[in-house]
Amino acid sequence: MLRHFICTLFFSWSLIVFGYGAPANLDEEQNIYAQIYNAPIKLSPTQAQVSLADIYNRKPMLLAFVFTRCTGVCSPFLLQLNETLRQISGKYLYQVVVLSFDPRDDVEAMQSLSTRLHLEKSTQWIFATTDSITALNLSLGFDPIWDSSTNQFDHEALLVGVNTQGYITKKLLGIRGDLELRQMLASINNAYIPSYRLPADNDLFSCFTYDPTTGKNIPNLGLLIIALPALVSFLLLVCIAFFSRNKAAKWTE
Amino acid sequence: MESLKLKKITALWVITILVLFLAAIVLGILMRLNQAEVINQEPLTFYTNMTTHGLTMIGIWFVAGMAAVNYLLQRYVKTSYTANLFAFILTVLGVVLLWLCTYLGKFNTGWTFLYPLPFKDLGAAPWATPLFLVALTILGLGWLVWSVSMMAKILQRYTLAQAFAWQHLSKQPKSETPPFILITMITLVGVIAALIAAVIVIVLFFAEYFSKGSFVNDALLMKNLIYFFGHTIANEMLYLGVAVIYEIFGELSGRPKWKTTWYVSLAWNSALIFILTAFFHHLYMDFVQPEGLQIIGQLASYLASLPSVAVTVFSIIVAIYGVRIQWSITNCLFFLGVIGWVIGGLGAVIDATISNNIVLHNTLWVPAHFHTYNAMGNVLFSLGFFYWFTTQHVSKLVISKLTKFALIVLIISGIGFLMAFYIGGADSIPRRYSTYPEALTTGPALARMGAYFACLYLLVILMFFYNIAKRCFAILSAPSSSVGA
Repeated sequence: MLRHFICTLFFSWSLIVFGYGAPANLDEEQNIYAQIYNAPIKLSPTQAQVSLADIYNRKPMLLAFVFTRCTGVCSPFLLQLNETLRQISGKYLYQVVVLSFDPRDDVEAMQSLSTRLHLEKSTQWIFATTDSITALNLSLGFDPIWDSSTNQFDHEALLVGVNTQGYITKKLLGIRGDLELRQMLASINNAYIPSYRLPADNDLFSCFTYDPTTGKNIPNLGLLIIALPALVSFLLLVCIAFFSRNKAAKWTE
Repeated sequence: MESLKLKKITALWVITILVLFLAAIVLGILMRLNQAEVINQEPLTFYTNMTTHGLTMIGIWFVAGMAAVNYLLQRYVKTSYTANLFAFILTVLGVVLLWLCTYLGKFNTGWTFLYPLPFKDLGAAPWATPLFLVALTILGLGWLVWSVSMMAKILQRYTLAQAFAWQHLSKQPKSETPPFILITMITLVGVIAALIAAVIVIVLFFAEYFSKGSFVNDALLMKNLIYFFGHTIANEMLYLGVAVIYEIFGELSGRPKWKTTWYVSLAWNSALIFILTAFFHHLYMDFVQPEGLQIIGQLASYLASLPSVAVTVFSIIVAIYGVRIQWSITNCLFFLGVIGWVIGGLGAVIDATISNNIVLHNTLWVPAHFHTYNAMGNVLFSLGFFYWFTTQHVSKLVISKLTKFALIVLIISGIGFLMAFYIGGADSIPRRYSTYPEALTTGPALARMGAYFACLYLLVILMFFYNIAKRCFAILSAPSSSVGA
């Protein structure tokens, strides 16, 4: 029986290790609670460079990644972000830093972007460039890919929440609603945000599967595994009792 | 010949346990002194000490109970010497590897090694996590084989129903199951379940470690399984000590041996069911845990502890009330241990109440209650057994004036050490802080108080160690003919 048990364990382990080879894609959980790279940034043509830490040490920061030649999601992303932030009450401290990940962009281009969005006079919005975008992207798990056929970057609309200690507290991909933005604002202000990792292909034994259509968690295989030790030990008990009695009976005979 | 071998291996267990106990107490004192700002350790050193202290204490007091039960089980069934020796060798090997992990590899996740901490860069060497998992595998294998072997031996003599004393639930039972057999069986089932949980956890940790990202674990599942293992084993080791008390308290006190009655059978059988679900109270703060499991956690915490405690306390009161009994060092330690178990158990039940846990969670209340039923409960059960085991005769266990004094110092130092935790817990001082921030003004003062009383406790344990160890060495060095059963 022990041999069968060991074989089953080994088989399950092999299945786990070798059967599922696809690595997880970039998702909102990567690099959470990691320190953001303290990149030097440029805010205006006349001012000297400052560090990102100079910005987030002052006030918690929402960091949005765009590029000025973007013909896709960048403008709707910023417009919607501005609109949603206006609707959210001013309970939380924050500032928005819009940073270009395109090395061709300069500060002037970013300033004209702010003018186009009517944000040039806002004290809460900062438009900037950096010459350390690779290191910054790496610290965020952000990987925009240049497509030379379209002269565009293939990228996600990424918004990163950073608290005043420089820790990444939350990441949002795509244009998101006010509920998630509220959670992000709370998280950069160090408020506790309950969250549960979304199931991925490489997470076989998740306790719950989140159903996005209903917004509910459906119990999954992981919950069954919690009961496994008790079930196996009772089974073992019954087997031992059965075989021990047989053995004892044989000896008596 | 068989009993001589058993006596020698038990003596080896006793010496090993006591040596490790002294080392682990010193680590505990160093932690409290650091929190008191009397010494200044790096956080990494503090957490390395904390991990080693916790793992060592849990491990040694579990095997202390197992060794005692194995020794006394010989009165009823023939136990396996090979399984006992196998467990001893694997325990020593496992402990050596664990200490290597923590002191050479700087593994410092705490004894609960909660996922994903072993995979995080906390300053440990890259090999520390796999070695830690290997050490746990070695320990788990040794203990699982030992537990299954003892269970099989019991079931060769008793039927399943007899082993669980189910016949005592009827009005006129046809056969009698000794309480020692009943409690040992109940405990072994729990121990095996806990060790199987550990096996699953280790397999899942290894799977993630070797899959290099193609497999990740679910944090909620891992936390449930880790506490299934950790909480259950920490409680079952107390029950091993209680089984020993049921077996020898009566004969040491010159009173009739305790018998199994319907309420003893019912209390311990229900304890088995509830002890396997009480661990859910460790997940009250995990909001994704289904609410039903949180409620089960609270109910099971009450139902697992109260019947067994009530029945044991009732049995002890009946044994000593209104009669002149012969007090020896062993039954004194047993009696004090039961008081520690009850007080610590109450502290645990208070913390396991959801409305209280919101306030007490991860405060010093947690180490307060588990140190109460360990340092002033389970440790005393085992020390009582060690004294009895090394003398084997009531007349040699008579309490001298020095021993009386030592017991008084033990009580005072134990209370002082524990009060520093309880007051801190009630004052919301968090646990597992290497040093306290300035806002927690009472933290360092209480830590200093705890450390000084712990030093006093250590002195008493040193005295006990001297008395017990010299007799153990005599057993180990005695020729075969002079060591009786």
